[in-house]
Amino acid sequence: MDKSNKEYGLREVKCPTGFNWSNLKAELKAVWESNLKDWKIEFAYPVSFIRQLISPLVFLLPFLIYGLVLIGGRYSENLAQLVGTGDVVAFIFTGYIMMGFIGTAVWAMGFSIRRERWFGTLEAIYVTPSSRLGQVLGMALHSTVHQILGIIIQFIVVYLTFGLALKIEGILPALGIFALMMIALYGFGIVISALGLILKEGWVVSDSLYSIMMILSPVAYPLIVLPTVAQQASALFPTAPALIGMRSFLIENYRPEVVGNVFLHLLTLGAAWILFGIVVFRLTDVYVRKRGMLKKF
Amino acid sequence: MLKSAYQQSTLRSNFFVVWNELIKNLKFLLAYPTIIVFWAIFPIFWFIPFILQGQAFVGGLQSANFAQITGTGEYVPFIVIGAVLNSYVNTLLYGMGENIRREAYQGTLDYVLAAPCNKVYILIGKALSESLSSTIFAASQLTISVLLFGMNITLGVMLPVFFIVILFILGLYGMSLILAAVSLMYKQSYDIAESIGYVFYIFAPVRYPIESLPTWAQIFGKLIPLTYALIIVRSFMLLGTNLSTVYLEVLALLIIDIVLLLAGFYLFSWIEEKTKKSGTISHH
Repeated sequence: MDKSNKEYGLREVKCPTGFNWSNLKAELKAVWESNLKDWKIEFAYPVSFIRQLISPLVFLLPFLIYGLVLIGGRYSENLAQLVGTGDVVAFIFTGYIMMGFIGTAVWAMGFSIRRERWFGTLEAIYVTPSSRLGQVLGMALHSTVHQILGIIIQFIVVYLTFGLALKIEGILPALGIFALMMIALYGFGIVISALGLILKEGWVVSDSLYSIMMILSPVAYPLIVLPTVAQQASALFPTAPALIGMRSFLIENYRPEVVGNVFLHLLTLGAAWILFGIVVFRLTDVYVRKRGMLKKF
Repeated sequence: MLKSAYQQSTLRSNFFVVWNELIKNLKFLLAYPTIIVFWAIFPIFWFIPFILQGQAFVGGLQSANFAQITGTGEYVPFIVIGAVLNSYVNTLLYGMGENIRREAYQGTLDYVLAAPCNKVYILIGKALSESLSSTIFAASQLTISVLLFGMNITLGVMLPVFFIVILFILGLYGMSLILAAVSLMYKQSYDIAESIGYVFYIFAPVRYPIESLPTWAQIFGKLIPLTYALIIVRSFMLLGTNLSTVYLEVLALLIIDIVLLLAGFYLFSWIEEKTKKSGTISHH
């Protein structure tokens, strides 16, 4: 004897489809819930949470101490000749704060899918009526906030220990550049998360890409010290133009190594990486589902 | 006569355990060639930014201030040696703890610990395989660095360097044993291993001389085996000194090794016994 949904006490839910406001709202809710889930998991391991919070500072300090030891103070004549400012503390700090966000793209987003696979929840997530990208973006949101917390700690420690001279009026345009960089980095992160679907040892690819991007980004040195080919390659990633743009707003007397409109450059990169990311993710998604590779690791 | 035959057979069995553990771990490694390539090459990418930073800040390959503190103005070989020795920390320290965890994930830890042999020999086998792979990776990184940055290395110093690396590895074995014990008890040794890695990275002279740290940090740094290994190896390779100049550092490294190894073996045996009794060995 068949019973209706009402008799079972079930409520019929209409899943919004297509590109409309209610669908967008539902997808944003999925992103938010995925972000909340990551915070809950993180707070369940307090030692890991604290370690990850201080890790940006741990990796910044060697750059600062090494720089100060090399020149025997905080002013470098050679750096001043290259970029107009010789203040190595301000130069390294403004460069290094961006590195954590490369980690967001490469590690947090790249591993969002992989982690669900380890937990055994990937298939369950895949059958929910929401976009798979929502999971990746939720993880990205969590990691971005996490990185911002790390930067606040970095700022406090560096300010109290070494002193920092930054232009306050440059903070707003620098934040604009940061937002544009994050859009492009999210696109890059989506590509990595797609790779995580097919590659068994995805961390090797993530770590390799992170290392390459670290060299191509002018974090602790101006772009000009890189070989010409590397300088050209760095234009394909958002970190180099973003760092140059942010430094020109934040550091007194800073002379950008590359001429051009940073905003336009970042807008183009953002559109290109997001588009490329979505296409690659969609193709990989279809490929792994057809081959039944979702559960393999 | 009988006792001697028994002793011989025990010795052979123990050697058999060590050998097979070594072979098993090497087979695991060989099953993932991308990981071999990664560890042999990519750690170089982690210190290249420091070399580029040096070029941007001093405009050449020599730093006068660096020479005042370290005795050598050449910061490139200083960084390379620091990075290569630090790679042992990355592979050995995480490797041993993770090795035990991997057995738990694969469901083989119960069988390994229930095997009728002394568990110390299993750990020795694991440690040997980790040291062998770490040494191959370190040699590869050093060779690539020599070719890439034009470093001059006298082959004559490699023998005492090798001796110091062995002493350093022994200290890391002790720490790894402590981590493996923690891994048996608390299951999540990864965060502790990472945190120890952070301490090594900041307080040991990996990227900068220890003298550039505040006094309290220098005292702390002198409790770390990596500090002495780096001071001694850099003295041999960059300053051309011999064992008689750095005998105090060698002695300090030896004492740290003994303390860590004794603590490691004691802690592992104690926790192994405890987890066996509580029946939580295969939990993960």
